[in-house]
Amino acid sequence: MLSMRELSRVYRTDTIETSALSSISLDIADGEFVAIMGPSGCGKSTLLNIIGMLDSPSSGSYVFNGQEVAGLSEGKLADVRKHNIGFIFQSFNLVDELSVRENIELALLYHDVASTERRRRVDEVMDKVGIAHRAKHRPSQLSGGQQQRVAVARALVGSPKLILADEPTGNLDTHHGEEVMRMLQQLNREGSTIVMVTHSPSHADYAGRVINMLDGQILIEQRRAA
Amino acid sequence: MRLSFTIALRALTRNRAHTLINILGLALGLTACLLILLYLRYERSYDSWLPDSDRIYQVQATWHEPGQPITHAQTSPFPVRDTLAGGFPQIESLSVMRNGQTVTTRDGEAIFIDSAIVDPAFFDIFRLPFVHGSAAGALSDTNAIALTEKEAIRHFGTSDVMGRTMSLGAGPGKRDYRIGGVLRDLPKNSSLRFGILFRYDPAEAAGLPASAIGWGNMSQQHYLKLRPGADAHAINAALPAWEKRVVAPQMIGGRAASQADIMDLALVPITGVHLGVAQHGALTPGGDPRALATFVVVALLTLAMAVMNFVNLSTARATQRAREVALRKVLGASRPRIVVQLIGESLMLAALATLLALAAVELLTPWLGGRIGADLEVTYPGIGGLLLPAILLFVASGLLGGLYPALYLSRFRPAQVLRANKSAAETPGNGRLRTILVVVQFAIAIGLIVCTCVIYSQTRHVATVDPGYRRDGLIQIESAWRFAGDSSEYEAARRELLAIPGVVAAGRTNLGLAATNKNILAVRTSGAAQDSAIGYYAVDAEYLRTIDVPLLAGRQLGDRYARDRVVRAEADGAVLQQGAGGFNVVLNRNAVTLLGLGAPQAAIGKTIKVGLDGEDMADATIVGVVEDTRIRTARDALEPIIYGYDPDRTSLVLVRYGGADPAAVMAGINRVWRRFEPEIPFQGHFVEALVAEIYAADRARGALFAAFAAIAVLIACLGLFGLAAFTAERRTKEIGIRKVLGARIRDIVRLLTWQFSKPVVLANLVAWPAAWWAMRDWLNDFDVRVALTPGPFVLAGALALAIAVGTVAGHAIRVARLNPILALRYE
Repeated sequence: MLSMRELSRVYRTDTIETSALSSISLDIADGEFVAIMGPSGCGKSTLLNIIGMLDSPSSGSYVFNGQEVAGLSEGKLADVRKHNIGFIFQSFNLVDELSVRENIELALLYHDVASTERRRRVDEVMDKVGIAHRAKHRPSQLSGGQQQRVAVARALVGSPKLILADEPTGNLDTHHGEEVMRMLQQLNREGSTIVMVTHSPSHADYAGRVINMLDGQILIEQRRAA
Repeated sequence: MRLSFTIALRALTRNRAHTLINILGLALGLTACLLILLYLRYERSYDSWLPDSDRIYQVQATWHEPGQPITHAQTSPFPVRDTLAGGFPQIESLSVMRNGQTVTTRDGEAIFIDSAIVDPAFFDIFRLPFVHGSAAGALSDTNAIALTEKEAIRHFGTSDVMGRTMSLGAGPGKRDYRIGGVLRDLPKNSSLRFGILFRYDPAEAAGLPASAIGWGNMSQQHYLKLRPGADAHAINAALPAWEKRVVAPQMIGGRAASQADIMDLALVPITGVHLGVAQHGALTPGGDPRALATFVVVALLTLAMAVMNFVNLSTARATQRAREVALRKVLGASRPRIVVQLIGESLMLAALATLLALAAVELLTPWLGGRIGADLEVTYPGIGGLLLPAILLFVASGLLGGLYPALYLSRFRPAQVLRANKSAAETPGNGRLRTILVVVQFAIAIGLIVCTCVIYSQTRHVATVDPGYRRDGLIQIESAWRFAGDSSEYEAARRELLAIPGVVAAGRTNLGLAATNKNILAVRTSGAAQDSAIGYYAVDAEYLRTIDVPLLAGRQLGDRYARDRVVRAEADGAVLQQGAGGFNVVLNRNAVTLLGLGAPQAAIGKTIKVGLDGEDMADATIVGVVEDTRIRTARDALEPIIYGYDPDRTSLVLVRYGGADPAAVMAGINRVWRRFEPEIPFQGHFVEALVAEIYAADRARGALFAAFAAIAVLIACLGLFGLAAFTAERRTKEIGIRKVLGARIRDIVRLLTWQFSKPVVLANLVAWPAAWWAMRDWLNDFDVRVALTPGPFVLAGALALAIAVGTVAGHAIRVARLNPILALRYE
């Protein structure tokens, strides 16, 4: 699915140069469930952003689905991203002014999908995450768990090859956190590739591979039996 | 108090863009309001500076002759001077005022001076201040004159000219006058105009023909002063009966007719003359109360737009300020106290805008005064000063702009605001109000753009519409009395005019192109129960050819036919008929239609009766019919006209030229003029310039509308700019999400610009009907007018949309280019 070689990300200001990622090499195969762990500031979110093409590496190579994406323009990156990647955020990042249905549909608006097809796919994915009965509600009318289910539905509706989850349980209580993790596990079993950043070792246990990072480098990789 | 002031000041400086937009918008609106107020007060101040102005009246006449538009005149019939005071003992003094121009020579050059012939009672009515001399002796006899200070200095270099003599007039009428008084110059806000006053000599009337001393002679104004406490309304109510008693019926062509039937006299307060409905025969250009009212409304709308900006931006900022207000409440501040503080901020802002506006008014007043020819002056204290209205506008705009945001912000519940992840300030109603205000703002702006477009195209249309004659290559020479009749001088002058390279024709008339005066005849056709009133043009054989009026049927008038010429007897004014058949005339198409004579060709050879000068009606045979001509403004209906070959009555010469430098032709005509008429100043005008001049007020109005439209658009855009900034900021997270989900920069820009384009599109639905109604009303004033096509409406809508999109696009692009990670990380 993706392959990174000697990938670095450096942030520069007038006076300071900060290295967020340093010579990372990483391969993720189709159907994997990878958890990235590490202390705050170790570079795990930067890595996730680069995987998700929301950020570009300062140097190194990033091949996604056989295509080098490290030097692509923002427009091309947006094209690759929208056809291949779904995002789940810690703070849900739903649009307050839109209903549950509209929030999910948002992900298809930029895919040139006809409205009837959009409706069918939104209905399907809402059923899948169990949020159909809240279709007309606004995010502010939902619990945290429900909001994250909407976010998961939005990530899924475009049928992405890769789902990136940045601390998806960070804002949820234990019960709702477990619920979301079981949902991700189920998606992985159905064939989705998932890369998740988490602070929780117990949630990392859902993944097939755990990558531990420190100071912008991969410290250790552990593979678990499925 | 000091703390509140500090907080208010910091709140204003914290968001400089918001503060600047509000101050600039309000300052623009206030400047427009204060300038229009100055202009309004100036227009309303006409003649109010006169002592006893509340007792001074002008006698005005309204004429409603059959077949003619109603004429509201500032002039009144000749006999009013000797009859009116006798009928109404409430009249303390009455004076005639016959205005005109006299000539004198200075440094060998003949020059005109505005003059008026008045009764000594004039100074009882108008207690004008004298620089030298006094009202009692100024016009002690008919050899005495009174000068204005400006004229005295112009001719003698000093105002101390008492007792000196001045040679005035031309030809046999030239004589020396003794200067009996020097008056202070009249201010510009005066409906009177003169440089020299002569004393009226009643004995002169004895030698005048009946028509010159009758009720049909409208060549003079009459002014009167009522006794203290007298009621002008009572006199006006009694005037119709008085007219019936005093105005004797005339026998016109065997039918009894009284001027009282077609004329209504009325006393109009001198302070109401300038803005009054009667402007025919005015000595100074009249004001237009409708235009004035329009500008007042537009200025207030401009201010309202600025206030709307204030409300819009303040409520938009509520998200930012909700937390501060909630904290203050937690710390014990009551709602009224918060309201007072927020209104205080608004007032502080309005105060700054007012100061800025006053500075702008000071700077712009001389410019505006110059543009409209007014003595505008900025004074502050007193009823007529700007201080009071400025304070009122400051308080009104500060309160109106601040009250709603203050009430809105102060109602937040602290617990809700402080607990909520997002602000409780963003309620749906709040956004709806902002949308409504933006719709209203852009509706005003679009409406003004439509009006500007329509006024502009109408002004162009009337300047270019076919007038029935050829305007280009035509010069009009005024005051050509010497060339009237069959003088050998004119024939010699005409030969010289035609010898000027490029000059191809020259003709004479009594009514110039773009003239305001009229000469109306009673015309009778066989079988008609009532006489028709038709304009009479005394012309020579070359006139119609010179101005190039197409002949529709028959022939032109000319010397080959003896009966073509109108020949008069001596001073009694009766028309000597040429044999038993009278004389020949040419009619225009409109006159033929009005008289029911059928097609132009059918009218040829028919005879009508015309009351040319006096009571007798003469037979006139139609020998030609020409196309209608638009001699006056496009506001006036096409006139029915009778052209008579009557060179004795002509006073203007028209010269047609082609293929030559216009300036060289004018200079050549000037040389010929000076050789033949050294005593009268040369007054030659290009007809195109004369026609342009009569639409100068319309063009000025169009320019002022354009200025207001520009201000309105600017204010609306300032508001939109501020709102777009806040919205872009507020929607940063949403934009980040959309980008993560695959939106490109152009998708985001489209999203944001459409959000602000919607109210602008909606504004068209409000603006278009209102502008259509207003412009239809305005255009109805014109006899020829442009059609109200969708063009200006669509153009205004598109322009407003383009401006709105341009204003918003900057923010949209900036936000769309942001890295979505930043937006989502800090959310």
